[in-house]
Amino acid sequence: MANSSESRTELYGQTFIAGLWRENPVFRLLLGMCPTLAVTAAVKPALTMGCCVIFVLLCSNIIVSLMRNLLKPHLRILMFALTISTFVTIADLFLKAFQPRMSEVLGPYVPLIIVNCIIICRAEACASKNTLFVSIIDAIGMGLGFTLTLCVLAGIRELLSTGKIFELQIMPDAFVPWAAMSMPVGAFITLGLLLALVNALTKRQKT
Amino acid sequence: MSKIKYFIQQSWLLIVASFCFGLLIAVTNAALSPRIQQNEKDKLNNLMRSLISDANDFQIAIEQVEIPAEKGRVQTTDVYKALGDDGRCAGFAFIAVGSGFADKIKLVIAVDGKCEKFFGFKVLSSNETPGFGSKIADDDPESDEDFADQFKAAPAQALELIKTSKIEIIKKIDSQIVAISGATVSSDAVVKIFNTYTDKIREQLRQKGLIGSGKQQ
Amino acid sequence: MDTLNILLLGFISIVIINNLVFTKFLGICPYLGVSGRIDMAFGMGLAVTFVVTLSGTLTWLIDHLVLMGTAFEVTRYVCFILVIAGAVQLVEMYVRKFFPTLYESFGIFLPLITTNCAILGLCLFINLWGIDNLLEAVVLSFGAGIGFTMAICIMAGIRENLNLADVPQCLKGAPITLITAGILALAFMGFAGMISSS
Repeated sequence: MANSSESRTELYGQTFIAGLWRENPVFRLLLGMCPTLAVTAAVKPALTMGCCVIFVLLCSNIIVSLMRNLLKPHLRILMFALTISTFVTIADLFLKAFQPRMSEVLGPYVPLIIVNCIIICRAEACASKNTLFVSIIDAIGMGLGFTLTLCVLAGIRELLSTGKIFELQIMPDAFVPWAAMSMPVGAFITLGLLLALVNALTKRQKT
Repeated sequence: MSKIKYFIQQSWLLIVASFCFGLLIAVTNAALSPRIQQNEKDKLNNLMRSLISDANDFQIAIEQVEIPAEKGRVQTTDVYKALGDDGRCAGFAFIAVGSGFADKIKLVIAVDGKCEKFFGFKVLSSNETPGFGSKIADDDPESDEDFADQFKAAPAQALELIKTSKIEIIKKIDSQIVAISGATVSSDAVVKIFNTYTDKIREQLRQKGLIGSGKQQ
Repeated sequence: MDTLNILLLGFISIVIINNLVFTKFLGICPYLGVSGRIDMAFGMGLAVTFVVTLSGTLTWLIDHLVLMGTAFEVTRYVCFILVIAGAVQLVEMYVRKFFPTLYESFGIFLPLITTNCAILGLCLFINLWGIDNLLEAVVLSFGAGIGFTMAICIMAGIRENLNLADVPQCLKGAPITLITAGILALAFMGFAGMISSS
């Protein structure tokens, strides 16, 4: 009995850490690129988007995991789409009600969480095959990994394009802001360089 | 009959789930929509209040004023009346839209109670080049050299955009606006928006008797 | 004549100036994944154009005829995604049965496209921009597809050449593609302000 509960905790731990680094959705699995580039012009929208994704991922993983034995194979994508879009609608309503400014800044990228590959892929790969608790841990791990990635990217972009992070001045006054960082160019190039960095780091870990 | 049975057997989960989710969305919407509508009203009110400082409340004065825009299209906007402490008219405000360098520019413009001077404008939404066209939205309360400050006491007549390379702004006529260096198109877009909307709005206000007939001009 | 003018300018604007990939960050996942070879890229582009024109039109119709102004407006996102998924499913079955040669060239990409952000993204943008006539919605959707095809074919051409270049190990694959996309985005930024959009 002790053995199995130990191995279960280990499984939970592994699942959680995987979402943060080894199977980080953006850097390793290359999923969910669209919002990563679009909302990371500043840290606050990135954090808001990350929280929305965690919420939707958690709810959808829970529901799919509860339903996993009832799903008919050829209708499951439709079921996933229905579940995810419901929770995204709810998240959008909450955002409009309690954070109207962020809702404006994020704009159409909140409903685009519906087609965010992360959520559908986790529903397909993990939640529809595992128990409730594992699915929850997986959702939290993946969601946190995604949020952290977004914040790192947003931090770099915001720091270089305005000298502030979260509207607090960090760079000295003599710093001339790099306006290109707040434009699509900056997004693509920063993400590309960060991906290269992660690749280099993981390669070094392996050898 | 068996075909229907098969259909139901395959998709009962979908149907049940649709009902439940629909209910969930409906409940959330009902709970949150008054708050969402209040947020929208507040946003506009706050912007207008920041332009007309002694206003207490806003009500719609004229609805759906038609402004002829480019290419034969017609835009409509509502004119809001700002009410001061004692119920007198503190000014009028309206949303104005026009095309800028990159995309549409949406402004909130405020005029005084007689439609003779502008109180200024605030940018509702714009997508101009960061560092250049985005300066139309700069509104530093400590500096009075922002682009937007030039509109703060400008007369409510046809404004003209000028470019000057002199560092100190020569004493110019109030109805001239100096363009942002490096952002002529964006600056011109703002001036064009002012010019397109002001005459029509004044005409409508006069027609509805909300301002004087102005005959003594 | 005025309508034709508006449509033409709208088309050019969404293909070049407000290109979905380079300015709105839509459709990045297939953009990175399928842009390895020009023939696959072109096939993907065709598939996306087809699906996006169809979905753009359908969702506009549903939005304006059924949803707007009624109590169901809040279910907009659910309706959009279901319509898109259903339409793609039907189209795939139809094309596979009646146009097998066409299916060879782009049919395999059709199931992948349902979760492509470009499709839902465009439908939402059409809603956001307040497009209020059907012809304009159709032209914009078609233009979006053409813009995506153009972007992905340019990228495929560049990547085919990159394969022969000496790219550092850690940059190979997605990183160098993203950096190239960034430079392309910079180039396309030069088109901004080309027409004063309306």
